[in-house]
Amino acid sequence: MLVELSKKTFVGTVGYHILGNHSIGPVLLPQLKAIDFPNHIFVDELNWGPVAVVQQFQAEAVPYQRVILLCAIERPDRGIGDITVFQWKGGLPDTDQIQACMGDAATGVISVENLLVIGEYFEVWGEEVFLVDVEPGPEQAGEQLSPAMEKKIPEILDQVTRLALYGLDNSQESSLLFGNTIFTDG
Amino acid sequence: MCFKNLPIAFDEDGNAYLKEDVANPYEYKVVDLGVEQDKLKSLMEKNGFIRSVDYDPVTRVAGALAFHSVVDLQEGKVLSTNSMATLFRGYEIILKGRDPRDAAYISSRACGVCGGVHATTSALAIEMALGIKPPPLGIVMRNILLAIEYLYDHPLHLFLLSGPDYSEELVAATNPALIVKAGKTKARNKAVHGYDTILDIMKDLNPLKGKLYLEALSMTRVAREAYVQIGGKYPHPQSVVPGGISVTVNITTLNEVYSRLIKFFDYGQKTTGIWDDIFDFFLEANPAYAQCGVRPATMADTGVWDRPEFYDGTFENCDVWGNARWSTPGILVDGEVVTTNLSELNAGLEEFVEHSYYEKWEGHRFKTDAKGLPLSPNHPWNKDTVPKPGKQSWKDRYSWDTCPTWDRMPMEAGAYSRMYLTAKAQKAPASQFLENTGHSMKIKVPKHNLPEAELEWKIPTHWNAFERNRARAYCIPYSAMVAMENWLLAQQLIRNGETKVSTPYEIPKTGTHIGFGAWGAGRGFLTHHLIVEKGVIQNYQIITPSTLNAAPRAPWGAPGPYEEAVLNTPILEKFDQPEDYKGIDILRAIRSFDPCMPCTTHIMAKDTDHVVSREVTTCACGIE
Repeated sequence: MLVELSKKTFVGTVGYHILGNHSIGPVLLPQLKAIDFPNHIFVDELNWGPVAVVQQFQAEAVPYQRVILLCAIERPDRGIGDITVFQWKGGLPDTDQIQACMGDAATGVISVENLLVIGEYFEVWGEEVFLVDVEPGPEQAGEQLSPAMEKKIPEILDQVTRLALYGLDNSQESSLLFGNTIFTDG
Repeated sequence: MCFKNLPIAFDEDGNAYLKEDVANPYEYKVVDLGVEQDKLKSLMEKNGFIRSVDYDPVTRVAGALAFHSVVDLQEGKVLSTNSMATLFRGYEIILKGRDPRDAAYISSRACGVCGGVHATTSALAIEMALGIKPPPLGIVMRNILLAIEYLYDHPLHLFLLSGPDYSEELVAATNPALIVKAGKTKARNKAVHGYDTILDIMKDLNPLKGKLYLEALSMTRVAREAYVQIGGKYPHPQSVVPGGISVTVNITTLNEVYSRLIKFFDYGQKTTGIWDDIFDFFLEANPAYAQCGVRPATMADTGVWDRPEFYDGTFENCDVWGNARWSTPGILVDGEVVTTNLSELNAGLEEFVEHSYYEKWEGHRFKTDAKGLPLSPNHPWNKDTVPKPGKQSWKDRYSWDTCPTWDRMPMEAGAYSRMYLTAKAQKAPASQFLENTGHSMKIKVPKHNLPEAELEWKIPTHWNAFERNRARAYCIPYSAMVAMENWLLAQQLIRNGETKVSTPYEIPKTGTHIGFGAWGAGRGFLTHHLIVEKGVIQNYQIITPSTLNAAPRAPWGAPGPYEEAVLNTPILEKFDQPEDYKGIDILRAIRSFDPCMPCTTHIMAKDTDHVVSREVTTCACGIE
């Protein structure tokens, strides 16, 4: 498969620290940074607030064309470590909901849904935005990942790497994610 | 003689002692909240409407505070209020047994907005416990860092979180007659902000698209850019350490800060002009708004911004360096200053857990402080955090927040307390930019794009929701001018070759060392009480502004500040059906405190089954 050299790409991790499996993004950040990506792929954490993220993205002379967000959201009918790739397809919730997202965002709440909605509202997302969402299971405090999650690390890193280098190919399953239903869909 | 309720007196030499004729000096009455709840229930039964309130539709990602009230929509009165912190955060427990040097980094995470102030408060506590005096430039740079943090925080609250309550969209939905009037009312401060009518301002306060909303977003960026020059990153700085700061500072750093700081000269003028116009309009349109969120001006503030020639970190001298701060620490009771001494502020503190999900702790280890001031068994140095999750009951326990008091009085905290105490006490240093008159604070703002101006914040007659926000707006130029004063000092220090920014220290592996940090978050009062034993943290207690403001009832029944302010709020909103009621007056009252937790407010309309649920989000800072 050919590496797409032209797509400026951002790989970001989103999630609270020290929250067990829910912290898979921040936990894997050093390993993601250690990957020898081509120069057009940038890796960093995106926990420092959607408003600040928007402002940083707005300041880029050349916008990011592909964004990959690694996160862990508890969802029904998944086992710990199961990976779902979502394609962000845009759309927005109602104004009250966006303002509520802004309220959370401006005050330090870390949430990938808020980040997606606020990024969409301020039109910073490029043509491709993917969520690599790993099932964390019930929330638990602590610095350690569960053994089931540990086992999945190579697969998670591989998934993020492939998306960053090649985008979504036909062999990969993905689900669609829309802003107008993001807070209502399970 | 600052204490009226605690049995502490002072002899002729000013030495404190515990009154001898009191059998149990720290005893207090515990009232049965069930009586009030039964009365309320009976009142509602007579009207044929008893409704249980659902406290769990917290739909946002991090609901941490809920507010419950019962309102009589016919009479326009609030009948009952309860403020509930719904999350246990556990920082005090996390910090136990750790190296004290971890405290600044870990406690900083207590908040997603004001992490820098937690880091600094922690550093101050360690400095007091271990006797560390930072060098002048370290102190001055921490002052600048703090002022910049406020310049991030206040616009964020005023325009992004609180501003929409006064926007055209919200006012049209809740008091349409005011919109008509606003369209005909000329704005007095047009020369500063450019808006012709009040309605023009209201339109630009509209959430997400109003120009003032978007401008505030961009100003938060300017402040963050200035902050990271010193803090390394925001909101959790890496450079605040006990003994000063850990980054070198040079003229280039200062110039980078200055180029951002000056933008707040004009913005401070504009912001105060905007909010003066908006609040004057509301209060003149309907004087009943003066009762919105009203409570006595009974407040606590730690004071901030140390002066390098006074601050030595010691408890022994804390009254001297505290009183020398650019903002004066102290206690206000019903608008009167009762003390400005940090030792007395500290000695009067107690925390109660009768209506909170905590076990009452045993013991009274520290009976006095190092100056001999008596300390209650409920004082933070004596407190132990023992969580006790349980069933929620209005008659018993309903919050993860504790009830902190000073001299047995619930205290309010806010950016405005800082300004109120400083203006009233007149103890802050002489300044080329600031003048405290005893009834006001005059702020001389230098020229930038706007001409120079003298702004004057006046202590208001009624302490209400509007005045809290008005004072917060004035805190923008106030903070900018303190930053400027310190920026000039930093320049001078660097020119004089005093470039040292930190003092080395060792953590003692033996003995007991106690201290407290007293600093201020964007929303006011912040203390960290620390005990270091055998080289590790034996006890760590945090009181945030929201610990004070969101407090549940005191054991003797006194409501917490949110609870009291909402109880006093008249329902002025216009609606046809109870189902249309939005609760804007209550929301304005709560939001005026800048509640430091994502807060969900539930309002139950008496004689209906209508429960209003609204978000009152600000920073995700924690309690306990």
